[in-house]
Amino acid sequence: MSRYKDNMTHEKNDNLSTDDIVLDTMVEQQIARHMTDLLNDSAQRLMPHQEQRLTLAHDAAVRYLAEKQAQLQYSNTHTSQGNVVRWFGDHFGQQHRMTSAALVILVMLVTFFAVQQFEVSNNLENSDAFLLASDLPPEAYADKGFDAWIDTN
Amino acid sequence: MATPKELSDFLASVQRRAFKQTAYAVRDDHTALDIVQDSMMKLAEKYGDHPATEFPMLFQRILQNTMRDFWRRQKVRNLWTTLLSSFGSNDADNEERDPLETIDVEDDSDEPSAVLARNQTIALIEQALQKLPLRQREAFVLRYWEEMDVAETAAIMGCSDGSVKTHCSRAVHALAKELKKQGLDKLGLSNAVYEKT
Repeated sequence: MSRYKDNMTHEKNDNLSTDDIVLDTMVEQQIARHMTDLLNDSAQRLMPHQEQRLTLAHDAAVRYLAEKQAQLQYSNTHTSQGNVVRWFGDHFGQQHRMTSAALVILVMLVTFFAVQQFEVSNNLENSDAFLLASDLPPEAYADKGFDAWIDTN
Repeated sequence: MATPKELSDFLASVQRRAFKQTAYAVRDDHTALDIVQDSMMKLAEKYGDHPATEFPMLFQRILQNTMRDFWRRQKVRNLWTTLLSSFGSNDADNEERDPLETIDVEDDSDEPSAVLARNQTIALIEQALQKLPLRQREAFVLRYWEEMDVAETAAIMGCSDGSVKTHCSRAVHALAKELKKQGLDKLGLSNAVYEKT
């Protein structure tokens, strides 16, 4: 049967028949200490493959913690304080991240409007160039009857 | 926050005992090694940012919980094995075995007699420890082997201080009885401690 059930069965039979041994607290502790001393001895003499496996597990856990702490340290020094604000010096108190985000949004908006403005002026330049390079005089395009004359012919 | 060196020192001091304790509980060395490995990694992953002074208690709690998880999985697996075995043949290998019958006892025939007697004593204690009920073994290991106080043991076991004392007392009585039955008084422990008071 399973070990689990084994344990559970043991647990149900918690009242072991210990009638034939009566120990006071001091003696209990003396026996316990004696046993744990022997068990400690036993624990120090493991099989080589068990030692090796424990060493590997030990190293993996320590390596994990070292890597995690290095990663944490890196992220603390490079990201958490708000890079944009740090360019301007530390004049924004503790709200580095918020200020950085606001500055980035502001720069994006300014860039957007600048691009819009550039496109409008670029379109005007193109239409002026077209009119100047055309065979017809510019007044012809302004004449209201010119489009109708083109359609009928 | 604990440094990797503090974690390393702590694990080095506790890993062998943890393995033996787990092996007594699950009665399989490979499984015990898996459980200890998982517990070590969980300690580093989840509690690496805690101070090193908290490691002993945290590690024992993780170890006990990992053992309980193992038993839960075993229970489910054994249920399925039992169900499915009714469809298979009655193989002799499937018969129940007393795990104590298969315990390897070290061959110390080349050692001096004192060492032999000591190793026999250890083997008997280990067997007796494995026979203990789960809660009694937990209490004994934490309270006496890990040298935790009653409150710490109770916190890890999730029970009251009184229950810890009861479990510890019953564990020692059961161990003493078992060892006396095996004639351990001739192997090291004084007769005096077994005398009725």
